[in-house]
Amino acid sequence: MIRVVRSELLRLRRRSVLFGWFGLVVMFAVLINFVMFNVVDETGAPPADGPGVSFPSAAALLAPEGIVAGLGAAASFLGVVTLAFWALASASDYSTGLVRIIVAAEPRRWRLLLGKWIALAIVTAATCLAALAVNVAVSPVAAQAGGFSPDAWGTDMPAVALEAVGQLYLSLLVWGSIGLALATLTRSAGVAIGVGVGYVLLVEAVISAVASDIGDWLPGSILTALAQGGNDAVSFAAASASGGLYVAAAIGAAWFTFQRRDITD
Amino acid sequence: MITTEGLTRRFGPLTAIDQLDLDLPAGGVVGLVGPNGSGKSTLIRMLLGLVTPSEGSATVLGERIDDPTAYAGQVGALIENPAFVPGLSARANLASLAALRGLPRTRVEEVLETVGLAGRGSEPVRRFSLGMKQRLGIAAALLPDPALLVLDEPTNGLDPAGIVEIRGLLQQLGAEGRTVVVSSHLMSEIESICSYVVVIRFGVLVFAGPIAELMAHATTSVEVAPELGSDRQALSDALAHEGWQVTPHGELALRVDAGEDDAASINRHAAEAGFTLRALSVHRDSLETVFLAMTGRDDGELAAARGAALLSDTDREVAR
Repeated sequence: MIRVVRSELLRLRRRSVLFGWFGLVVMFAVLINFVMFNVVDETGAPPADGPGVSFPSAAALLAPEGIVAGLGAAASFLGVVTLAFWALASASDYSTGLVRIIVAAEPRRWRLLLGKWIALAIVTAATCLAALAVNVAVSPVAAQAGGFSPDAWGTDMPAVALEAVGQLYLSLLVWGSIGLALATLTRSAGVAIGVGVGYVLLVEAVISAVASDIGDWLPGSILTALAQGGNDAVSFAAASASGGLYVAAAIGAAWFTFQRRDITD
Repeated sequence: MITTEGLTRRFGPLTAIDQLDLDLPAGGVVGLVGPNGSGKSTLIRMLLGLVTPSEGSATVLGERIDDPTAYAGQVGALIENPAFVPGLSARANLASLAALRGLPRTRVEEVLETVGLAGRGSEPVRRFSLGMKQRLGIAAALLPDPALLVLDEPTNGLDPAGIVEIRGLLQQLGAEGRTVVVSSHLMSEIESICSYVVVIRFGVLVFAGPIAELMAHATTSVEVAPELGSDRQALSDALAHEGWQVTPHGELALRVDAGEDDAASINRHAAEAGFTLRALSVHRDSLETVFLAMTGRDDGELAAARGAALLSDTDREVAR
């Protein structure tokens, strides 16, 4: 298994993946902080959520957790980025034809799938840490620009940061697993990313607008709740359980397909 | 080395490989030839564990193909086009494959050296020409120091010097005791490097055996041309009078159905009849001619496009 993980990590080390993936994570981490501290009214109710974004209340931003609130608010955006790169890393094996060389060298396909999952999970952990670092660096500036006082921030900072990044990581693992499954099923990064992004930004947004009760339990909302450590609509425990089910279903579908499918690419 | 018994693979109504029985010897270079769509790639993929047979069984290196893990470490393959991550260097691509097989990094340098890419290892693969990608694909196949090497069109995209070099390498690998299976459309390539050949048409085995045995199907003729073009008919009559079958060939020459041993006799009879020959040469059918006689002149893919029913009812019977 270690061989497969090492092999995958070596292939992920290409500039386009690392610059693209880390670059987008950093960009969203910066962007969300400035947007969030500007649109949340310090005295009023939280603004309406946009597609893929869930803003915290002003009280939450003023609390010690406010310094890392951007991670939870941007969870869906970061999730879509993660889904895209997991899909890209998986589907490119088919588009380049590499899958036939890899499977011929290691016919135990479950190992290849699991090894890829672990390798991508390792890179995803690194992107979470990058997002955390950028968030911690940017949020005080963004808060002051938005008129928020960061006085309460810094209390129990390591625990707050660890909790926030852990929750984000869990949600991104689910996003990534869905991307891997979509790419394995479709063998196309474009289709997989299109389906994933289209679902979050269009389908789920429409369903949530029409039927908010149902919308709270759809993947995008569940994973945002997971990244935020639970919210008013969905508890952390329920979000974790749902996320676990999504991962199990995604990996199960990917494994079933990959194991049985002829490699004709 | 490789055996198959009743190996069959169907894709919907199309039978890509039909009841194939093979027993390939160990060692040497084996040519796998057939028209487009004849089932060569499907056969290779089944042997490598990429495609599951519909029926039948097969072994590779003595191990059943339903457990390719048992032999994957001893098999190197270049299947269809060389496949790499374009944004990574040649060295990084090979390092990734070496890591997957649990091989040391030194092996990467060895195979780069073997295929003549040692000086280009740091360049991204996307900058490589088709020929260089082909060399890299062969390098990847050589990584596990394989007992069985399966190469699909190994000289595709190489320049003439590269073709000679790679053919030499394949012959050397075969001479070292490895089995090298080369799938190719280039009959001259098969003829020049293979000791054993397998011919498939529409998924059916047409021939399997030493290439010398296949070439026993080749016919030989002697071509003669009289010094004066106006003498052609008279020369034809004179040679026919001696019992040879003579047909016009081109505008000035004649083709005599005769073996190499008859060439001197033909020359003598022509001289005795008063004709001076401007040219005399012995012609032996090439592998390509023998191959076309066996498999027909149809493009296999076009024939397949005519419909699976036709394949099953008519062409398959012809192939048998």
